[in-house]
Amino acid sequence: MIAFSRFELSNGLRVLVHEDYSTPMAAVNILYNVGSRDEHPDKTGFAHLFEHLMFGGSVNIPDFDNPIQLAGGENNAFTNSDFTNFYDILPAENLEIAFWLESDRMLSLNFDPKVLEVQQKVVLEEFKETCLNQPYGDAWHHLSDMAYKVHPYRWPTIGLTPKHIEQATMNDVREFFFRYYRPNNAILTVAGHVRASQVRDLAEKWFGDIPPGNVPPRQLPQEPLQQAMIQRTQRTAVPVEALYMAFHMPGRLDKDYYAADLLSDVLCNGPSSRLFRRLLKEQQLFSSIDCYISGSIDPGLFIIEGKPAEGVSLAQCREAIWKEIHQLQREPVGGQELEKIKNKVESNLVFSEMHAPTKASSLAFYELLGNAALINEEDQHYRRVSADDLQRMAQTILTEQNCCELTYIPLKN
Amino acid sequence: MPNRTQAPPIASIHQLELPPYQVHHLSNGIPVYVIHLGDQEVCKLELVFHAGRPYEHKPLAARATLSQLKEGTLRYSAADIAETLDFYGATLQTPYSLDTSNVALYTLNKYFYKVLPILAEILEHPTFPQHELDNFIQRNQVELQVELSKSDVVAYRKITELIFGEHHPYGYNSYPETYAALKRDDLLQHFRQHYLAGNCSIFLSGHIRPDMLRALDDCLSYAIKPGQSNPHIPPVEECLPQRMRISHPDKVQAAVRIGRRLFNRAHPDYAGMYVLNTILGGYFGSRLMTNIREEKGYTYNIYSSLEPVRFDGAFLIATESSTEFVEDTLAQIYQEVEILREEPVGEEELAMVRNYLMGGMLNMLDGPFNVADIVKTAVIEDLPMGYFQQMASTIQHISANDLLHLAQQYLAPETLWEVCVGAWQEG
Repeated sequence: MIAFSRFELSNGLRVLVHEDYSTPMAAVNILYNVGSRDEHPDKTGFAHLFEHLMFGGSVNIPDFDNPIQLAGGENNAFTNSDFTNFYDILPAENLEIAFWLESDRMLSLNFDPKVLEVQQKVVLEEFKETCLNQPYGDAWHHLSDMAYKVHPYRWPTIGLTPKHIEQATMNDVREFFFRYYRPNNAILTVAGHVRASQVRDLAEKWFGDIPPGNVPPRQLPQEPLQQAMIQRTQRTAVPVEALYMAFHMPGRLDKDYYAADLLSDVLCNGPSSRLFRRLLKEQQLFSSIDCYISGSIDPGLFIIEGKPAEGVSLAQCREAIWKEIHQLQREPVGGQELEKIKNKVESNLVFSEMHAPTKASSLAFYELLGNAALINEEDQHYRRVSADDLQRMAQTILTEQNCCELTYIPLKN
Repeated sequence: MPNRTQAPPIASIHQLELPPYQVHHLSNGIPVYVIHLGDQEVCKLELVFHAGRPYEHKPLAARATLSQLKEGTLRYSAADIAETLDFYGATLQTPYSLDTSNVALYTLNKYFYKVLPILAEILEHPTFPQHELDNFIQRNQVELQVELSKSDVVAYRKITELIFGEHHPYGYNSYPETYAALKRDDLLQHFRQHYLAGNCSIFLSGHIRPDMLRALDDCLSYAIKPGQSNPHIPPVEECLPQRMRISHPDKVQAAVRIGRRLFNRAHPDYAGMYVLNTILGGYFGSRLMTNIREEKGYTYNIYSSLEPVRFDGAFLIATESSTEFVEDTLAQIYQEVEILREEPVGEEELAMVRNYLMGGMLNMLDGPFNVADIVKTAVIEDLPMGYFQQMASTIQHISANDLLHLAQQYLAPETLWEVCVGAWQEG
């Protein structure tokens, strides 16, 4: 249970506070409601590049990191397809430093061309390190491209191609900032050794005079139903073969989201899960196997990935997975198994409430979804899922028609 | 209107108190360190055996034994064990460590009594079934193939091997044939000789009640056999460090590792080197990060680190960068090292590093599991319990002159190995 209070400033900034006196630290989290799904198709990777620029100095403060470090704090950020999230973790007595810094970079950046130039290079190196120089590092590029034809989830957050990052201009930066980085498009959460009244005063003082903006309403094309299985084979410099199967699944706010999530747990969460136990341990068809969901707000992907064991063909692997899927479609998951995966969810939720920073970012995420109180209702949503729901989900989403299949085959030198 | 050009006042942290913990002993003498903190009804039970690489009679015996503990016992199959632990939402981890073999159980308190007997059975009667070992070997051989296709992995393996020696417990690497050579008897032998009460310490953290301790004694004091064993650490052969290029098919980036042998946490200069390392490459504002990432844009990440182990230690610098930037990246790294050896750190930078590290220490005290890790480090590495406060004191008081001397003593360029792995001719 995470108790919180919530208020809104006159400029539209939403503020949530969770008091936790068991820690000497405070976590300040600012979520901006802009992600790679808001990018122009010819300027992909921009939301993430922009996240880097937020550390390059703001209108009144030349450098973001030094003051945080001087205050004994840490800070970082991440961008995904749906939103961009910044956080600062510092000794609670230095809380105001984070307000000073975060509010100044929400007011305005310094738009230093040198910062843009360097961070373009840094992000290109990140692109290389995480995608181009890793075996299977472009899997997400392929899966997004196969699964989405019209929705902007068709490019990954890092960007479709390095070229888009190279081409970003200072004009793009200014425009993006004043369009999206406005108080009425942000959520501020503070968790830790703080008082709600103190946070309210600090929020008014530092964020109160930042003007709101005209944030354009999000109008994203809905991805049409996939009509037939999509397959792609990459013959490239990978060490061993690999198989990815991605299925379209409901968005984060759909009532069936929870059933789809639990279905992925039945398949591959924990050492007793079906794919791990049967295909990897018993039949020894795989050397590694996993199943997870993208968890995106708009309809996302349910992914099964694995690497064949020595001497096993991709065809055998594929067949074994389909056999497990067909069983889920034919027979309901037993009561004991259903209880097991729900117990695991409960446990994960409790363990995720141990530290202020994770509580702060979760609160912001649920507020973005429309209601921060959802954070305390998750366990019930999962508990409500029935064996019938799981069977129906398996029948609806785990079908050939709904599947994108990506395979990697090593190029023999 | 707030004055935005003026930073709010910053308070420095002067006091760090390790929260109180208790030490109990099981009937068979195993110490149990209890860290009772927090409101969540959860706990982490971690058993640490001195049974890592310094205790091996054969390479990989420690890792294989640890990972196979949960793959079958007299009464339960691997599937039974997995099923029971998963049913109660518990997680059993066997985190990798060079020195020790750790078994960590995370569970909701309400299921503690349900999962504890499984843990006891795993430690009392593991059977190490042959088919499970075969499966382990096969999976790890494929995994190794994947790992060896990454230039950063190749570079890390090479430099640690160069620093400690290819047959040293801290230096050897695994190959497909190292896995193939593992026999079931090796696991049985490693288990019998080293998973003993005299080699074991237990750390119980979270929301802990006295009856949990009693249950622990009932279950584990019989499961774990009495006895003790000794590590075997051969001397490290000192040789002249070299700079080495290894050719690798990765086209777009090269992996760079620079480093040397250093020392463990017990060494009188460890805390000072901790501060010096932070200045060089231990945080976002470090000199390497500022110069090579934030000014030149050569890399996404560059860092240096101290890697202490129980009987030794290393210092490492690591980065990945586009092949065309490698030469200047190397030049910049050596230049930053040289500056540390020639010029005392300025007061402003030193103040920032002191505050940053003190904040980090405070954060390390956040929550029962973090506190347990501090206690665990002291116990496992034979440090006085005051080591944490000692670190804090060094952070606050070390002078720029002390740091200059440390840099001169430990960061001479001729003492550093260099390994670059990328698309070029070997030489």
